Amino acid sequence: MAFTLRSVKVPPNSASLEEARGRVFDFFRQACRSIPTIMDIYNLDDVVTKSQLRSTIASEIRKNTHVTNPKVIDMLLFKGMEELNNIVEHAKQRHHIIGQYVLGRQGLAQDLDTKDEGVSDFLKNFYKSNYF
Amino acid sequence: MALRAAVLRHIRLPVQTLTAAGSRPQPQWSFLRLFSSHDDHLTKEEVIDRVLDVVKSFPKVDPSKVTADVHFQKDLGLDSLDTVEIVMALEEEFKLEIPDKEADKIDSCNLAIEYIYNHPMAG
Repeated sequence: MAFTLRSVKVPPNSASLEEARGRVFDFFRQACRSIPTIMDIYNLDDVVTKSQLRSTIASEIRKNTHVTNPKVIDMLLFKGMEELNNIVEHAKQRHHIIGQYVLGRQGLAQDLDTKDEGVSDFLKNFYKSNYF
Repeated sequence: MALRAAVLRHIRLPVQTLTAAGSRPQPQWSFLRLFSSHDDHLTKEEVIDRVLDVVKSFPKVDPSKVTADVHFQKDLGLDSLDTVEIVMALEEEFKLEIPDKEADKIDSCNLAIEYIYNHPMAG
């Protein structure tokens, strides 16, 4: 029943930016403390390390630093809390987590095997994009 | 019976003579308390080393600038979210759980080292 307790709190109603900031840090700490559980549930030990997940969470939070309205921050926190609950109560699956939080700019993992070894740099760049 | 007497006659045991002041406890045993974890604290150098390692392995930090009295925001150019992240990384390293009020105060390597050194549960 521990997973339902997270969402039962009173929805945050921050009066000022400072209070909203404090709530953001609380949310971040709560997410970081759930990282060991998440890695255990989804067997992420050989895919990613805890510090990489922490950095990913921090960069997700950082995407919204430009927001100044405390109510908007509350709404974003509510959505973040919902996402964290979904992940911790195993409502998502491993490929969701890997696709959304582990893989970076290069997207899905490239499978480079022996057929690609002799390929020239020109072809490799060509496969990636039109302009190089 | 006779065998026993014969055997006993031939056994020699080293005899420990007590000193005149009475028997003193052996010095080497008085420091060995087998089930006590009282002396189990981390040494200050170990705390400093591990804290600096955690800070240096943070991706946004330049390892050459990290010393024991560096301030996260002023010297390393991190922002408040990075500071919280470093504190969480330290929590993971030393298996602690730092309450929010204390965590907000930790702003530099000095304070982190002091807090962890004084924490009884630091692992």
